[in-house]
Amino acid sequence: MNMGKVVFGFFVLLALTLNFGFFLGDIDNPDHHNVYELFAALVVGLIATVLKFGERSHMGAVLLASSLVVDLQLIAAAIVWAVAVHMTDHGLTPMVMASIVSLSGGALLANLLSVVLLTLETAGLSR
Amino acid sequence: MGVKTESLLFLFFRRMRVPLVVLISAYAIATVGFTLMPGVDDQGNPWRMSLFEAFYVVSYTGSTIGFGEVPYDFTPAQRMWTMVSIYLTVIAWLFSIGSIISLMQDPVFGNALRRARQSRGVRAMNRPFYLVCGYGDTGRILVRALSARGHPVVVVEKQREKIETLEVEDLGATVTSFGMDAQTPDNLVEAGLRNRWCVGVIAVTGSDKINLKIAISAKLLNHSVVVHARADSTSATANMRSFDTDYVVNPVEEYIRRMELAITRPDVFRLYNWISSGPGARLVPPREVPAGNWIVCGFSQVGRAVAELLEQQGMTVTVIDPNPEGPGRPAGTVAGRGTQAKTLTEAGVESAVGIVAATSDDADNLSILITARDLNPELFLATLENGYSTHALFRAAEPDFVGQPSQVIAGYMLCRVSSSLVEPFLSEILERDNGFARDLLAKLLRHQSDSSPEFTAGRISARRAPAIARAIEAGVEVPISTLLRDPGQRDRKLPLEAVLLRRDDGDILCPGDDTALELGDRILLAGCTGTGRGVRAALENDRILEYLLTGEERRSGWVWGQRHPDSAADA
Repeated sequence: MNMGKVVFGFFVLLALTLNFGFFLGDIDNPDHHNVYELFAALVVGLIATVLKFGERSHMGAVLLASSLVVDLQLIAAAIVWAVAVHMTDHGLTPMVMASIVSLSGGALLANLLSVVLLTLETAGLSR
Repeated sequence: MGVKTESLLFLFFRRMRVPLVVLISAYAIATVGFTLMPGVDDQGNPWRMSLFEAFYVVSYTGSTIGFGEVPYDFTPAQRMWTMVSIYLTVIAWLFSIGSIISLMQDPVFGNALRRARQSRGVRAMNRPFYLVCGYGDTGRILVRALSARGHPVVVVEKQREKIETLEVEDLGATVTSFGMDAQTPDNLVEAGLRNRWCVGVIAVTGSDKINLKIAISAKLLNHSVVVHARADSTSATANMRSFDTDYVVNPVEEYIRRMELAITRPDVFRLYNWISSGPGARLVPPREVPAGNWIVCGFSQVGRAVAELLEQQGMTVTVIDPNPEGPGRPAGTVAGRGTQAKTLTEAGVESAVGIVAATSDDADNLSILITARDLNPELFLATLENGYSTHALFRAAEPDFVGQPSQVIAGYMLCRVSSSLVEPFLSEILERDNGFARDLLAKLLRHQSDSSPEFTAGRISARRAPAIARAIEAGVEVPISTLLRDPGQRDRKLPLEAVLLRRDDGDILCPGDDTALELGDRILLAGCTGTGRGVRAALENDRILEYLLTGEERRSGWVWGQRHPDSAADA
């Protein structure tokens, strides 16, 4: 067992689960989506990106690319949240919430792709 | 294979993984902590930071900027967490920056970075350049001279210490140096062997085997490149010539050739030695090599060859060698090194006419020269200068004939590098008699006194010399003298001589100035440094050409068309 592989798999999976947890619920209901979960998903996503740095293989390159997409989507969601809550008077209206959640939904897809690729690679290894 | 910049980026990121994860974690912990700490707003109501405000506070404390306590004064709990977050983030930053700095200082990373930069420089090269393999004394002379002529040079040398100074030296053109082994063809390719601007490969490492490998690689991987190689042994010389290495120079062979010329045709020797001894070579004063008894000190490769040569020329030779019983030593060899008066006297220095100091130790050679001169001031002193470090001493000792391998090799290559016509010119010269060389020397000496002549070559074709080609097509006779006139003042002659004219039906050595040029001619000019460029105006500009031919200046350029409307219409 390779400890590096465990850590890597852990962070990739955790990024997916946290992202999924935030995404779950009515799309426009602020009560269903905790901002801490978004924060955690973003931090874990960043760490997963850093762990994928420097992989020379083709698989590594695609993994890194999908991770960068996750970061981009989640950072966009966080900025929308910060602007809505702190820089406008409206607060978290259903429309704003919907756009935050849909951005995180995009990130979810990319996270899912990461996990699928990782699984494929692992399956390929055992053969 | 070459190191790509991309892989360097990956190397950088791979090394930065841990510091970056630490940094992200520290920021995340500090941010979450702030949102959990109980605080009060300006009205005294309980209040907590949002993630946005917490990240703001962490951002300015983490980077040690510090705006104070915003938006409201902190409670003791928040202050406690501020301390925790300051230490956490500052330590994480120190760790990350420290890692970056240590990575930058890592010699492996630095070398990879430098090599990638140099490969990029070679790929971006857009002027003819030379690839010099080996940076010893010979390599140094070659690189200095080539870059002084404005040619970019790429140096490949295995020992990195030797090329370190190259990066700070102020040379006339870009000099890129690679610290790698020239034996490996991949390294040569990385240094630009297959680049279309690579015009010459010069193999001057200290080993015959490596020079051979370089010559083979160069010939196989790039057909259009001109290969110059040094070969010390006779077998390596023959081997290199067998696969058409363009120029092979064997220092011993060259030393003997010059010595033979000095004995048989002194003026041919003076001319040849002047031309092919590198930049700053001076014309040696005429001195006849006397016939009679000679002493050869040291029966090395050179000593043996010199002894054979002298005997062929009808002189009697006495050899001094520490090992008189060794293979090939002639009968009557005196034991010793020749540095002591006793040995020299034993070899008959008083009645000798000349001495050759050919031991492999420069200090011994110098000592032999000085001792011998003391014993017999009339002696002709010939010597071999093995290394370049004692050059000043040899100059001061003023021998009549010196052979310095690095200089001989560099000079041989440098004069031939400027044009492919130089080699046929020199071999023609070597065939001619003494009187011919004396006349040519006198001609060249009209322009220059000390520095050796520089060669410029040109082709009379529609592409290279459009003005002359048009004139010839229009039926105007263009003699060589036209090229040698000053475009600013036609009565004045440029300090140049036409030394070789190559036509389909053969070469003409030193063509007369009134020889008419023909289309397809290739011409070699020799003269003062830098004057070859002045000829270009006559080649390209119709008006200047007409002025040079007739002395008349016209305003418009379509002169030949006016005289021969038919040919102008064809063009």
